Amino acid sequence: MKASDTAAIAPSDREPSSLSGAFTLPRVGIALALAVLLAAALNPIYVTPFPILLGRMLVIAMLLLVAFTLAGAWRVPGLPRWVAQVVAVALVAPIATFLVYLPSIWFPGVSRLHEGYVTGYTIIAGSALVIGPLLALGALYRERDAQARSAALHFELERSTLEKQALDARLKLLHAQVEPHFLFNTLANVQALVESGSPQAGPVLRSLIAYLRAAMPRLQSVSTTLGAEAALVRAYLELMQMRMPDRLTYRIDIPEALGALRFPPMALLTLIENAVRHGIDPSEDGGRIEVGARRDPGDGRIRVLVQDTGVGMQDSAETGTGLANLRERLQAFFGADAALELHEVVPHGVRAEIVFALAEDNTVDATPALAGARP
Amino acid sequence: MSGPTALIADDEPLLRERLRSHLGRLWPELAIVAEARNGREAVELFDLHAPQVVFLDVQMPGLNGVEAARSIGRRAEVVFVTAYEQYAVQAFAQGALDYLVKPFEVERLADTVQRLQARLLQPRDSTGRPLESVLDELAAELKRRAGLDGSARRHLRWIKASVGSTTRLIPVEQIAFLRSDEKYTLVVWEGGEALIRKSIRELADELDPESFAQIHRSVIVNLRQVSQVDRGLNETAEVKLKNRNDVLPVSRSFVHIFRQM
Repeated sequence: MKASDTAAIAPSDREPSSLSGAFTLPRVGIALALAVLLAAALNPIYVTPFPILLGRMLVIAMLLLVAFTLAGAWRVPGLPRWVAQVVAVALVAPIATFLVYLPSIWFPGVSRLHEGYVTGYTIIAGSALVIGPLLALGALYRERDAQARSAALHFELERSTLEKQALDARLKLLHAQVEPHFLFNTLANVQALVESGSPQAGPVLRSLIAYLRAAMPRLQSVSTTLGAEAALVRAYLELMQMRMPDRLTYRIDIPEALGALRFPPMALLTLIENAVRHGIDPSEDGGRIEVGARRDPGDGRIRVLVQDTGVGMQDSAETGTGLANLRERLQAFFGADAALELHEVVPHGVRAEIVFALAEDNTVDATPALAGARP
Repeated sequence: MSGPTALIADDEPLLRERLRSHLGRLWPELAIVAEARNGREAVELFDLHAPQVVFLDVQMPGLNGVEAARSIGRRAEVVFVTAYEQYAVQAFAQGALDYLVKPFEVERLADTVQRLQARLLQPRDSTGRPLESVLDELAAELKRRAGLDGSARRHLRWIKASVGSTTRLIPVEQIAFLRSDEKYTLVVWEGGEALIRKSIRELADELDPESFAQIHRSVIVNLRQVSQVDRGLNETAEVKLKNRNDVLPVSRSFVHIFRQM
């Protein structure tokens, strides 16, 4: 079956999970009840005793149900399942009726083929031919209805889960504060610059202000751009380089075309802070941090990467909640496909990559309010 | 004997400079004989110059300030310089060491200078200061903060696996299960699958038993990713995982793990 066919008739065309699953008690019940009703309705015009008539009806009903179920499980290429099932029921109706008449015809001596049989056969086969497919359609309609309901329920569940995750992520972000350690050490450096009358003091204060504005929980917005995040990261790295000039070098290279992409606030900074704290800071020799972004030529996804040549990750180094939170936030922001990958860098260091698919509305226009809100 | 001597250790050069310049004004006789950029250099330079006073930044790469102080012991007056919050500072105070909280005021440094000058006039005594225990405590605290708890056995937090041309670092929380595959072990995690060289037996030893359990001769499962356990015939069971179709076997000898759940 072609993919387009599958899509066109979904979801009613989904295969039942098993044969026994389709052969449900309600279905058997309805088929039997209708057989009884029909037998009762036809009884007055038949010479055949009621029990025999009822028996015939019941057998036919069951045969039709079997045909319906088998046709549902047996997939014909290019033929939608519901058509197969209705056609199967229609085809089987006269055959089943013929089968139940066989014993009467063949039992020699008991009865002979006469006009009554032909009429009886025609009436039963005719009613089976009309009622069977109708019933099949009804069953299929109910099945589709149930599937649609379950799909809607599933969708609802998924949506509320995602909403909850987004909210959680937002709350966690609110709780993530500027680390006092970082702040006081940086201020101590600024103090040293100011006291010594260094011309560096002004630019460094500017970087600190840019960093604090972005990192203050109350000032954070829901969304920013990759370019604005890169500016924040630059401010942070300038501060760190002032503090450890002999141990830290860096390069930030975000192509202009990608700068306008919507991006969750603090996501890139979290990776940079991680690289400094776990890569550069523990190393006596320090290292280099490279920040980049590119569109994967293969799958068209965006890769934002932060690479350091620090001490690297020890097998038993604490994973920290920071990265786990970041992963959740990325998925809440970009969708479940978004990933945070960590790679080892040779000879030592870590490369973290944020990978996400480019949504159609992911442009700077989608967040006009932000343009003025960011440094 | 010539004038008093001191060593300054801080990984941030601007802060070394600031301390040096203020000390120069407050205590002109004090000679700064060396500046160290980390704990290891501090110890080396201390051994070389044997200064009477050592200013140690607490957080330094490699050997940190507290570890350097342990190594220096009582051979010098140690002043810690730290950006740490109050409770760590209290621990310093108990040890009768002096400490400066960054960014420090010049007046506070003047106090420290007075205290040091007074102490240098007294004969060195070897009584009283419960230095080692305080330093041990502090070192443990620093380790704990850095996520390197030295007391408990360290469990595996990351698994390194070659995927294509790179080596992926996989946080163990993301792993669904591990299954031995001839010479290798298959790691199945949220982001994919990979083969690693470590055996199931080694992994069972190194992973945190709070989260990971061996449920079969060849299978370790992340208990936090288990959605249900179905009892099977003959005292075995099957484990199903959250958001996955994999069904993992639980062999007879491991069924007890799930008994009280």
